[in-house]
Amino acid sequence: MAKRITIDPITRIEGHLRIDVDVDNNAVSNAWASCTMWRGIENILRGRDPRDAWLFTQRFCGVCTTVHAMASVRAVEDALQLEVPLNAQYIRNLILIAHALHDHIVHFYQLSALDWVDILQIPKADLNATTKLAESISPWTRNSREEFKAAQDRVNAVAASGQLGIFMNGYWGHPAMRLSPEVNLLAFTHYVQALEYQRKALQVVGILGSKTPHIQNLTVGGVANAINLDNASALNMDRLEMIRGLLEEVVQFVNQVYFVDVCALAAMYPDWFKIGKGVNNYMAVPDLPLDCAGSSYDLPGGTIMNGNIGGVHAFKTASDKDFRAAVSEDVAHAYYQGDKPLHPWKGVTDPDFTGWTAEQKYSWVKAPRYNGAPMQVGPLAQVLVGFAQGHPLTVKHASRAIETIGAVGHFQVTPGMLESTLGRHGARAIRASMLAELAQKHLQLLTDNIAKGDTAVFNQPVFPSHEIEGVGTHEAPRGTLSHWVVVKDAKIKNYQAVVPSTWNASPRDASGAQGPYEASLMHTPLARPEEPLEVLRTIHSFDPCMACACHTFDPTGQEIAKVKVL
Amino acid sequence: MKKVLIGGIGNVLLGDDGVGPYVARLLAAHYEFEDGVEVADLGTPALDLIDQLTANDAVILIDSVNVHDGVADQGAILLYRKKDIMRLRPAVRMDPHSPALVDALLSAELFGVAPTDLLLVGINSDSYEPTCSLSQPVRESLEEAIAEVLNELDRLGVSYWHRAHPVESGIWWAETAMEPALIK
Repeated sequence: MAKRITIDPITRIEGHLRIDVDVDNNAVSNAWASCTMWRGIENILRGRDPRDAWLFTQRFCGVCTTVHAMASVRAVEDALQLEVPLNAQYIRNLILIAHALHDHIVHFYQLSALDWVDILQIPKADLNATTKLAESISPWTRNSREEFKAAQDRVNAVAASGQLGIFMNGYWGHPAMRLSPEVNLLAFTHYVQALEYQRKALQVVGILGSKTPHIQNLTVGGVANAINLDNASALNMDRLEMIRGLLEEVVQFVNQVYFVDVCALAAMYPDWFKIGKGVNNYMAVPDLPLDCAGSSYDLPGGTIMNGNIGGVHAFKTASDKDFRAAVSEDVAHAYYQGDKPLHPWKGVTDPDFTGWTAEQKYSWVKAPRYNGAPMQVGPLAQVLVGFAQGHPLTVKHASRAIETIGAVGHFQVTPGMLESTLGRHGARAIRASMLAELAQKHLQLLTDNIAKGDTAVFNQPVFPSHEIEGVGTHEAPRGTLSHWVVVKDAKIKNYQAVVPSTWNASPRDASGAQGPYEASLMHTPLARPEEPLEVLRTIHSFDPCMACACHTFDPTGQEIAKVKVL
Repeated sequence: MKKVLIGGIGNVLLGDDGVGPYVARLLAAHYEFEDGVEVADLGTPALDLIDQLTANDAVILIDSVNVHDGVADQGAILLYRKKDIMRLRPAVRMDPHSPALVDALLSAELFGVAPTDLLLVGINSDSYEPTCSLSQPVRESLEEAIAEVLNELDRLGVSYWHRAHPVESGIWWAETAMEPALIK
């Protein structure tokens, strides 16, 4: 007889991911993913000036501010068929790359590493052995005995104080934790160091976007950065050099620390290459445009259906005609009115809350579908779609990961193994090292273009009175983001955002097909069902973001997930 | 020079959750501060709040709080100090980007980068529907919230000046101007 486990964050204000799993013989036999808050934010945009939409969409989510701003201006530009000057493309690309590098570092160290790293083991680590191990896998100069000792002392101090603080809720000592004390210490030391480098990535966004967390420099038709190499207040040589310096440090951290840590961790949990596969339809859109019209890109896009890598279908542009035609949202199991899937331009967001019922409606997330099929999006999709097309940069960094994991773990790694919980972490590290390389390339492209005397940053938008439609996409850290806008008389008539976590957290559709989170949990073994660490590992590997949560502070301290076993 | 961050937290698209950014922008429009003080609309930073807390001597946050059941009226101002927040449990996270003041502060403390002083000026509210407007009780408490921020600056020995001519507040999201009859 299966028992059901519900993992549901208790806050008085709802707006979170909830997971329900049935557990039979210590393995997941059924799974449901749901979001507990109504998202009707898009309705706020109706009737507004499309040139202002990005200011509002930037507030959809406080962590993904930049990506929603970018998708919004691209959607309006697509509707207007408006090109963007080359400088504006490069500046936008640099902002997106820096944002993504920040996001990936934060995701691994602050949000996921402690699913795999056991803090309780750290006091047992031998400092000399840790230093020797670190030197054998990376040239990182901060892999020193002093840094390891400082990190170990920090953990010892926390343990001695009895105030566990941030570690209060970890599943420490769980049987699924299997790293040696030395690897635990190595990863924890980098968890502390990561804080400095994630901030440097954010500084790049701040210099180009004039502020963080909400950038100020976007505009429909380009960017608002003044470019003048001789003016102290404009984007000048000093600022470009400052960005170059910051990027160098971030790039080094990604290549010598983050990438290596993910490979080392993967090498020590080989069984997690067999867990968490789920939906094996993959999608990514092209990004980092290299010309004004957006006809060539540094990152490829396309779809793979049923894991058929050889049958990859490439998207030619970021708003490819196939993509425009194929997306719909199904509400059979979502708390919205409607009886058939709707294209986002026709989308409606009218609530129909019925309470959580496994057989009927159970989520505030709609079920996006591509030609009727659920799709997994995110770094794994990005890497597989690129790898399948023989994209040189993807192949280069994916091969490096596969070799590194194999060398540390002494086992054969194949690209197909990436279709797993650990593979999603590996793919994110591969994507990050690709982006690190591209960061420096796009800074050089910008610098060279300015040196040629081109200072154009903006093309004036002109709105017709008749109805126009556009889609703006961005291949964001969590996957394919698309904003869909309908404009009439220079006013927004309809606006829908189909966000990466909607694809991945999708509930079942009318045919009963599970979304990626749900499918990925099937058959996962649980060592202790009442401490479902394994469920958290797989869900965290997607880097979920429910992109809308209120931020109200709950002073009763109940901001904690409830794990309920029925 | 003391480094002080005055940060408004909340989602400006979700009703009273937007009160934090609202108060931060009113403060910046009506007051000048001594060097080292930064006033920021932080939005909903989740764990990115660690980055904001870092490298400050003192932090004053303004956020909506949600206290039910007759404990406090709508619009009531509730103050929480660092030790009050540090006592709370962090979340077991499903969605790693949920609200994270407790987590961010505990992490910053672990990393040794937390501010010495932290005050949360909470405005009690429970209206979080998608809208860019504040509810009436919360609107009426804006002045008191601002006064609490200024009190804390006094306590910290940080100087500020009322602007004779307020600058543009930059509350671009509001449907109608709702600025209170500021301010002594």
